[in-house]
Amino acid sequence: MSGHQSVVLRGEIRVAEAVQSTIQFPYKRSLGPVVGAFMTALTDRRIIGIRSGDRVIVPPLEWDPDTAEELAHDFVDVGPAGTVESWTWVASPTVQHPLDRPFAFALVRMDGADTALLHAVDAGSIDAMSTGMRVAPKWRAQRTGHITDLEAFVPGEEPVVPADDAGPVAEPVTMMDYNASITYTLPVTPNAARAEKANEEGRFLGLKCPVCGRTYTGGKGYCPVDAIELRSEHEVDLPQHGTITNYTIITPVQYPGQTETEPFARVHVWLDGTDVVLGYQPLLETPNADVHIGIRVSAVWASDAELADLASNAEGRLLGWMPTGEPDLTDPDLVDRIQ
Amino acid sequence: MPDSHEPSSDDIALIGWSISPMVRNTDKTEAQLLLEVITGAVENAGITRREVDFTCAGSCDYVAGQAFSFVQNIDAIGAWPPKRDSHVEMDGAWAMYEAWIRLQLGDIDVAVAMGSGRSSTADPALIYPMEMDPYYLAPLGTDAASFAALQAQALLDAGKVTERQMAEVAARCRRDAQGNPHAQVTGDFAVDDLLAEDYVRSPLRRHDLPPITDGAVAVVIARADKARELCANPVWIAGFAHYSELHYPGMRSLTSSPSTTLAGKAAGLEEAPVEVAELQSAFTHEEPLLVEALGLGADVAVNPSGGPLAANPIMATGLVRIAEAASAIRDRGKHRALAHSTSGPCLQQNLVCVLEGQTFKGAAK
Repeated sequence: MSGHQSVVLRGEIRVAEAVQSTIQFPYKRSLGPVVGAFMTALTDRRIIGIRSGDRVIVPPLEWDPDTAEELAHDFVDVGPAGTVESWTWVASPTVQHPLDRPFAFALVRMDGADTALLHAVDAGSIDAMSTGMRVAPKWRAQRTGHITDLEAFVPGEEPVVPADDAGPVAEPVTMMDYNASITYTLPVTPNAARAEKANEEGRFLGLKCPVCGRTYTGGKGYCPVDAIELRSEHEVDLPQHGTITNYTIITPVQYPGQTETEPFARVHVWLDGTDVVLGYQPLLETPNADVHIGIRVSAVWASDAELADLASNAEGRLLGWMPTGEPDLTDPDLVDRIQ
Repeated sequence: MPDSHEPSSDDIALIGWSISPMVRNTDKTEAQLLLEVITGAVENAGITRREVDFTCAGSCDYVAGQAFSFVQNIDAIGAWPPKRDSHVEMDGAWAMYEAWIRLQLGDIDVAVAMGSGRSSTADPALIYPMEMDPYYLAPLGTDAASFAALQAQALLDAGKVTERQMAEVAARCRRDAQGNPHAQVTGDFAVDDLLAEDYVRSPLRRHDLPPITDGAVAVVIARADKARELCANPVWIAGFAHYSELHYPGMRSLTSSPSTTLAGKAAGLEEAPVEVAELQSAFTHEEPLLVEALGLGADVAVNPSGGPLAANPIMATGLVRIAEAASAIRDRGKHRALAHSTSGPCLQQNLVCVLEGQTFKGAAK
């Protein structure tokens, strides 16, 4: 999922043995010369196609679908009405559908076009729908250059224009927004639930692989090296003291969900006497300039009162790590210890 | 038809596979599902993970609800010491296609391909549009069932199928699925009762749609010499091909599937009759369309497993077809079978894999 920002909203809702989170996908897309021309025309209540040989393709593509040759920007107005070539009645629309009442999706061949445009038909009833029926666009009053500027098709030959029509945009449309939001429910495995319970009790729970002896945190369900399942009999309590093996100072950039405003440290902590390195941990009461590899630290857990003040702490009850004041560890190989 | 001959060392065979339970909502993570089917597949092949030279997974981040979810799934492989690994944001059938291509380089012998999906993570009707054309289709919330319904209506209007025939496909698949331990929707249903139900997306009723399924599948493939060393009854890949059409459904005919026909030809389907066809016909009307596109006769058993109408683990459904077709040969005495997978709206892209048992006559060239 490269090329977008995904944001897990704070305030995840925990349900029985599952965690629910809503991810927003706020895309901004550049349209280019062909899709942009189509979207710009929509603001002018026109539907355009593009010539490709003897055909007129609607909605327009940048390349000839048969030869992949780039098409000249030879646009053609089509419609204003068209004919339904296929359709389906949507009795229960989803939140992403263009209408919140029952409607039809249809493939509409606009007059003058050789391909069909997929859009909604606001027909009121399935009984009003049939293949071959004539439809015309119903336009939104405020148009921005988006496929939903065409609110829907309606039965008949005449386009429907609202009385408060705002007219076309002044400048060609070059960008569009697409916002989706999906609520996911993911299972919390028994191991993860026990690890979380341990965290609530101020403990780190480890799972030690009986084959390779490596220890994992976070309630991992299996050893990724030996690919065997880890169960409750493999659990071990981990120490609360460790050493910083690596760190980074993060300068926050503003994106949806980012609440930090000032540069802050995140450190990797190697737990004493184990092979466990906890990644990206908060470091407490230490100026960024003083953060370095080798600092001895111990875990600090929130009291019940402090926990109530934390609306949602990604680390659960763990507030972070406090330098103990012990002498640094000076092993030059510390930095090579990674999770 | 080519003369019968022993497989050459460049031929590749399935030597093991494993299909997870198919359920509406699993309490396992995707990595756990994969852990179990990979273990099942390598044990089925009589090897361990250490003998696997290459792995390729098919899964979808939008379905998983997590960016780079396939990175976590690598945990199921046992990738230490490091393994050659790849991933496709496609059904596992395409992962197996990549593994098949990879083994043809000749430097390694054994690959695992897998497909996994937990469709229960969210509403599939909200996830699917995000994978569509982002300018003209996704903003309309065009879900898989709506696309399928547009194609079904086109087939009805063309007189290529009737709603009763569609219900008969559903009833047959659910009945056949009764013998399949990996089926989710099974039973005896009267066609008239099915036709009495309301439309979900006209002309599709509930029985015309696949169930929402969590599940995974893994297969082990090997080059010929290794396959014969490890396995008494390898299932040979006689042909493997896929073709794609235009994405936008309004710009192509919805009453034929030329990409399926081309894939079948390229996979050597015409060289000898098949006895079994496992098709990724997730919607009832797709079955007669695919049967026609592949030129299958009435004597070919179509989806004897129950097919995707009995269990539809998104991103694994196509590779399950390959595993089921392979089982028909290795475990049920068939000689030649085909498996089909599809991707994109209204059967945009189609893959055909032709499998043969002991009577293998060499791969299609």
